[in-house]
Amino acid sequence: MNPLILTIILMTVFLGTMIVMASSHWLMIWIGFEMNLLAIIPILMKKYNPRAMEASTKYFLTQATASMLLMMAIIINLMHSGQWTITKVFNPTASIIMTLALAMKLGLTPFHFWVPEVTQGISLTSGLILLTWQKLAPMSILYQISPSINLNILLTMAVLSILVGGWGGLNQTQLRKIMAYSSIAHMGWMTAILVYNPTLTMLNMLIYIMMTLTMFMLFIHSSSTTTLSLSHTWNKAPLITTLILITLLSMGGLPPLSGFMPKWMIIQELTKNSSIILPTLMAIMALLNLYFYTRLTYSTSLTMFPSTNNMKMKWQFETKQITLLPPLIIASSLLLPLTPMLSILD
Amino acid sequence: MLKIIIPTIMLMPLTWLSKKNMIWINTTTYSLLISLISLSLLNQPNNNSLNFSLMFFSDPLSAPLLVLTTWLLPLMLMASQHHLSKEPLIRKKLYITMLAMLQTFLIMTFTATELISFYILFEATLVPTLIIITRWGNQTERLNAGLYFLFYTLVGSLPLLVALISIQSLTGSLHFLLIQYWNQALPDSWSNIFLWLACMMAFMVKMPLYGLHLWLPKAHVEAPIAGSMVLAAILLKLGGYGMLRITMMLNPQTNFMAYPFLMLSLWGMIMTSSICLRQTDLKSLIAYSSVSHMALVIVAVLIQTPWSYMGATALMIAHGLTSSMLFCLANSNYERTHSRTMILARGLQTLLPLMAAWWLLASLTNLALPPSINLIGELFVVMSSFSWSNITIILMGANITITALYSLYMLITTQRGKYTHHINSIKPSFTRENALMALHMTPLLLLSLNPKIILGFTY
Repeated sequence: MNPLILTIILMTVFLGTMIVMASSHWLMIWIGFEMNLLAIIPILMKKYNPRAMEASTKYFLTQATASMLLMMAIIINLMHSGQWTITKVFNPTASIIMTLALAMKLGLTPFHFWVPEVTQGISLTSGLILLTWQKLAPMSILYQISPSINLNILLTMAVLSILVGGWGGLNQTQLRKIMAYSSIAHMGWMTAILVYNPTLTMLNMLIYIMMTLTMFMLFIHSSSTTTLSLSHTWNKAPLITTLILITLLSMGGLPPLSGFMPKWMIIQELTKNSSIILPTLMAIMALLNLYFYTRLTYSTSLTMFPSTNNMKMKWQFETKQITLLPPLIIASSLLLPLTPMLSILD
Repeated sequence: MLKIIIPTIMLMPLTWLSKKNMIWINTTTYSLLISLISLSLLNQPNNNSLNFSLMFFSDPLSAPLLVLTTWLLPLMLMASQHHLSKEPLIRKKLYITMLAMLQTFLIMTFTATELISFYILFEATLVPTLIIITRWGNQTERLNAGLYFLFYTLVGSLPLLVALISIQSLTGSLHFLLIQYWNQALPDSWSNIFLWLACMMAFMVKMPLYGLHLWLPKAHVEAPIAGSMVLAAILLKLGGYGMLRITMMLNPQTNFMAYPFLMLSLWGMIMTSSICLRQTDLKSLIAYSSVSHMALVIVAVLIQTPWSYMGATALMIAHGLTSSMLFCLANSNYERTHSRTMILARGLQTLLPLMAAWWLLASLTNLALPPSINLIGELFVVMSSFSWSNITIILMGANITITALYSLYMLITTQRGKYTHHINSIKPSFTRENALMALHMTPLLLLSLNPKIILGFTY
């Protein structure tokens, strides 16, 4: 794509999210969402093939529906409270509709069906933007309306998302679908704690974005989109295999890596609020996630499958420069000892 | 405590910066020096614990386990030299780094004061062990073994995390020293029963308890020698140590909650000992023997009398040394014949007489011959379980008999009789192997002279 056009489009995506996060008028938020949606469609369609068009269409339809639901919730809120300021939503109907709309945007169960298919149809870089940047705007709205969200709906969606994210990823070999199911599960964790302590939602979002960024950049570096091609990285760049191992185990939430920190904090907050069965259930369902990450590490770093001789020479394109990979690796694996610093957030 | 932890962490830069012909020498020497430093912890003057800082402490229970951990690292390094000799240098360094990382986490686990810090480090020991088993094991089954190991332990320990956090929110602190002093009886309710279960299941899986022991034969058999040594000698004892610490908070539910686990352990020790009599795979026999010995430790911890705690602690240390030595002996067979089948390597006494002496000593300590510390441990456990209920003496007596049977079966099959015709060209024993066995056996024999340092905090 022409660099000037690409810059303009990316700036529009950025501006859309910024408008959502920074405005105090409900209409501006809706405008921000629409701007974001319309500008990201060309990015999703960067590689012009039918699969990408199908993915972009699905994304557009679901997000537009969600925006319309959001608009309806805004209007109901306007009708009942008479003002457009962003505060907690006072009317329960409006609150429920808004929660469902934002869940559709995030990809929570039962609105998760678009995430794997859209992520699979687009290129790795577009998938990166989809799974990290696009989650920021809906999450910021959820953060702002968190005092009024109906707990039953949110917790049901969260627990079902963790279950679906874990179970759905078990049968996948395509890396983008694995990352999509991982995103569904992590969104479930984030929304589960939203009502009790929204700061932890932001913490989880931060660490999730760092880990997903790292994973995608490692995939982009080795240009691999399937488990099979990822298992050839021992040949091309052996250090990448170790990094993939560390980051995947961190995403699975194993101590002493930093992926454990959000899970630990969320379990702590939930337990302090006297719900004991819920965090136990969530933690055990996160083990499903860990299973398919471990399986991925088995094929990539921990074993070397028998390969024929001509497979050992992979096409060596010019090495893509990955910006910021070392700090991202450090951030996604070594942050656990900094957990006591979270006390400054109070 | 930092005087032990920081040198252990620094073992990792030591391996990466050493020259090719010095990696084994450097790491083995420095880890032996670290174990010398840790011996000073055995001097526990009064009944209280030695508190080094707010985060680390050592007590007559954790000090022997700590000394065992630091003693075992040089032995693991010595045992791994042969099977890693053909690997490229970077992979050797990675292996030693994994071992050093595991060692750091283990030392910090045994000396942690705060129970959540104990939990995080307990889980952290899983990652290097998983990598050692899966990356450096020898058969295809190691993938399955790694998965079973990881998931059995995690499913058991996630409820423990929730239970610890809920105890902290109810009582305010999980610092071990505070809990000792303002401990009070847990009220009787259904949720406290589940709390008891949540706290104990993690350690039951780790010990392992008889019904949850499926991961252990897989993991022990598929792991390389250093992995088997550390699994058998230390990681199982993490479960015992955790149980000994956490049962202090769980009274009076333990009085009735312990019954199912006591029954499972009493029955399980006989079952696993009997399975040992029919094993063809040498490492699998030693693995099941570990389950059987640990079942005794579970019985001792759940009975909660002073003598049983002494027996549990002594048995843990004794079994650590014995089991690790048996794995080293099995590995010396494996390196020569590349098979773990017992009958393929018979009659070794004729070919390797000095190794036969070590086999004899290891088998004798495994069957708890007097006056070794294995006997002291088992005897205390048998006596205290007899005082708890007279009928257990039948099961205990049967277990001791069957233990003797399979230990002697293992000894006679591998050492006595006519050697097979295909193994008359094996290499003679290396000095390194003899040194390894001597270094296992000497602490075991010397401790029989002064067992009170390993008898734990109820002495």
